[in-house]
Amino acid sequence: MINSHTFNPSAQLLAQTAASTLGISNSVLVPLGVLFGLAALLLFFGRIPISYNLLNLTVRWRTTLLTALAFTLVISLLTVMLAFVNGMYQLTENSGHPENVVVLAEGSTDESFSNLGFSDIGDIENQAGILRPDGRPLLSRETYLVVNQPIPNAPPGGPQRRFLQLRGIVDPNIAAQVHQIVLYEGGGWFSESGVQEVDSASATTAVEVVVGEGIARELGSSRTEAELAAAANSNRLDVGDVFSLSNRPWKVVGVMQSSGSTFDSEVWAKQSLIGPMFGKETYTALVARTADAESAATLKNFLNNDYKKAAVSALSEPEYYAGLSSTNRQFLFGIIFVAIVMAIGGVFGVMNTMFAAIGQRTKDIGVLRLIGYRRRQILISFLLESLAIAFIGGLLGCAVGMLADGWTATSILSAGQGGGGKFIVLKLAVDANTIAVGLLLALVMGLAGGLLPSLSAMRLSALDALR
Amino acid sequence: MKFLRIVVENVLRNPLRTLLTTLGTMVLVFVVTMVWSVLSFLDEQTAEKNANLKAIVTERWQLPSQMPYSYAASLREGAAREADDIRPTDSMTWSFFGGSLDPESRTRESSLFAFALQPEKLMTMMDELDALPLSQAAELEIAVEKMAGNRQGIILGRDRLAAINKQIGDRFTLYGFNYEDINLELEVVGVFPPGRYDNSAAINVEYLNAAMDAYPQTHAGQKHPLADKSLNLVWLRVPNTQAYSQVAEQISNSPSYASPAVKVETASSGVATFLEAYRDLVWGMRWLLAPAILITLSLVISNAISISVRERQKEFAVLKVLGFKPFQILSLVIGESLLIGATAGLLSAGATWGLINHVMGGFTFPIAFFGIFYIPDASLWWGLAVGGGAALLGSCVPAWTACRVRVSEVFARVA
Repeated sequence: MINSHTFNPSAQLLAQTAASTLGISNSVLVPLGVLFGLAALLLFFGRIPISYNLLNLTVRWRTTLLTALAFTLVISLLTVMLAFVNGMYQLTENSGHPENVVVLAEGSTDESFSNLGFSDIGDIENQAGILRPDGRPLLSRETYLVVNQPIPNAPPGGPQRRFLQLRGIVDPNIAAQVHQIVLYEGGGWFSESGVQEVDSASATTAVEVVVGEGIARELGSSRTEAELAAAANSNRLDVGDVFSLSNRPWKVVGVMQSSGSTFDSEVWAKQSLIGPMFGKETYTALVARTADAESAATLKNFLNNDYKKAAVSALSEPEYYAGLSSTNRQFLFGIIFVAIVMAIGGVFGVMNTMFAAIGQRTKDIGVLRLIGYRRRQILISFLLESLAIAFIGGLLGCAVGMLADGWTATSILSAGQGGGGKFIVLKLAVDANTIAVGLLLALVMGLAGGLLPSLSAMRLSALDALR
Repeated sequence: MKFLRIVVENVLRNPLRTLLTTLGTMVLVFVVTMVWSVLSFLDEQTAEKNANLKAIVTERWQLPSQMPYSYAASLREGAAREADDIRPTDSMTWSFFGGSLDPESRTRESSLFAFALQPEKLMTMMDELDALPLSQAAELEIAVEKMAGNRQGIILGRDRLAAINKQIGDRFTLYGFNYEDINLELEVVGVFPPGRYDNSAAINVEYLNAAMDAYPQTHAGQKHPLADKSLNLVWLRVPNTQAYSQVAEQISNSPSYASPAVKVETASSGVATFLEAYRDLVWGMRWLLAPAILITLSLVISNAISISVRERQKEFAVLKVLGFKPFQILSLVIGESLLIGATAGLLSAGATWGLINHVMGGFTFPIAFFGIFYIPDASLWWGLAVGGGAALLGSCVPAWTACRVRVSEVFARVA
């Protein structure tokens, strides 16, 4: 007996396979596939040679160019804006390892507002599930702070201060293993004391820090011309460079390789130094590494439901960062709104073009009808012309938008109302999904803009057209 | 007038094309108006003022700023000690209290973040509340008086009030999460006027301080962990930049604020620091998005005018035969384009202003702590300028083509 369900799983599997192979989400791939399929059907059922439409596009090349350029601008803008949001989502995903469990104070969803007393959490490292590769639990004890730094050499009229994200680490080697951080060659982690003498005459000591690559670039940009000329690396701070914070020198002893995570925008130092320095006498988070996502879930559930020695809130690291994606979603809604409104403007533009084209070719339409082409074939022909302009303009727009891939930009990850959040430096990411959305919007614009004019062309009678 | 009449008649000759161009222009001007509204508001917030400044005093290094409340009294006086020291003309302290109406869970519907402040300062120191229309000011004043008389009073924004499903007169307990184990029994005594404070809440700082003082009595004599950290911000109003500089020096040089150290900056400087995280986004809006929309607008208009000019070659040839000079034909085409562009731009900006400000009550965009944006009155001339400017730019080439029409060539084709 034939089971109707046997067909659906196959189609679903095909769609899922295509989606995962191409790197395009189902919600984009399916409508894009439908539109391409529609175009293919129009080409198949259209009897009027496509060369007629393409020739008309080249004869009226100025109009074609202006219309296609409008598409190019709209789609390239959309591509860049989506690349920005893509970059934020990728950064959020890269920041969270499924094997890690983040432990915060009960009720906290952001480590900015979490306070874990030192004595409260001493027992957590003994819990089952936490990896112990050399006998020591892979549990990183951290204090996250945001501090205000006067920007050296700040130009007048511009911002005079910046916010620096500091992370106080108890054991940097443990932290590196938990967060999978690798340093650039030539650097190392801070010493046991966390300080280094920089001037023996005045006995001045500098706080040893390891910086993320993004913040290293940001801090490096504040150097004077003379400092840049003398610097080992003019693009960013490097090992040995010193910056000032809280009236003390801070010396870079290592630079974290870019991991596409929020750590790229952080400065790490010894927790026992910076906690008291900035009045944060507690940990803000513990991050435990387990064997896999399942073990992480088990540990998380135990800490939330059965652990009674302290009031804590545990999340898997991906869950924690997903909770900070409120701004991502808000930006995405804003981008969709702007893109749709601009697309509507573009639709009116292409409608104008197509109505004008039809108005100038009424005699062509009359002749086509007289030699036997049906009304629906007239409709198909002009629809294809509109789709062709849209496709060319959209393709160009995607190509222009792709130039933004890899650009860096600053932003903030936040859970929304209530403050907190992390300042981030992200890389714009143009991926297959972004290109697909661009092409999809272009084709939708072409279809919407060409439909009414094509319908009006279809309704012309042969005699009226030739009169 | 005759010229204008000819322009209008030409524009109305093809109503479909005129309508489509107008609609396309209106839609794109709508987006530009919204983008420029956000940018102009941010520029206003970060522009240094010369008079009637507000200064902010915060902890020097850490965010969030946490200072002992004992700093408040002297900071509100600008740390003035000598007779010739300058005192601020007004001041206000802020403490942030976050809590949930449900002790077991924290959701958007149950959460509340309130400014704990001096009730009377709501009318004199809070942005926009210090310049309300009379009727709104009178209502708010009543609520402020109730809060001053009842330390447990809370004033909420209308959206927050609706989110927690309460109304004026209702009482509820707010279980603190940044102030752990501090639970406040509150009574809704008023609502903020519609606008920027729709999602805000304000409570009487005396109530919070009293709760902090009472904490040791129920916790074995232990002070609350935030006992010396409950003052988050002090606002000071000063008459001019000179007074600001002096007050800043008084505070910076005062030995009373050593641990933690404090810093003084103008409100605009403080806002600018917060907006640094969004600088690339703002740059993109200003130099990519807005110009791209303007260029698209020019292209849409240029396309329409080009089509029109191409169809009217004979007409222009006849006009030349009748004695019209090239510049007159140029002016005719540009005039038609300007009429469509400027009219559409003005209509669009006006409609955007009305829709966003009066129907939607503002629009939200997630930049810093600015929840809601409005369309300024200046948008009306923006629309006119943008529509007219794009029309002028877009019609230059087609108008030039029209005025260069060769009569002999056109009539040769006709023949």
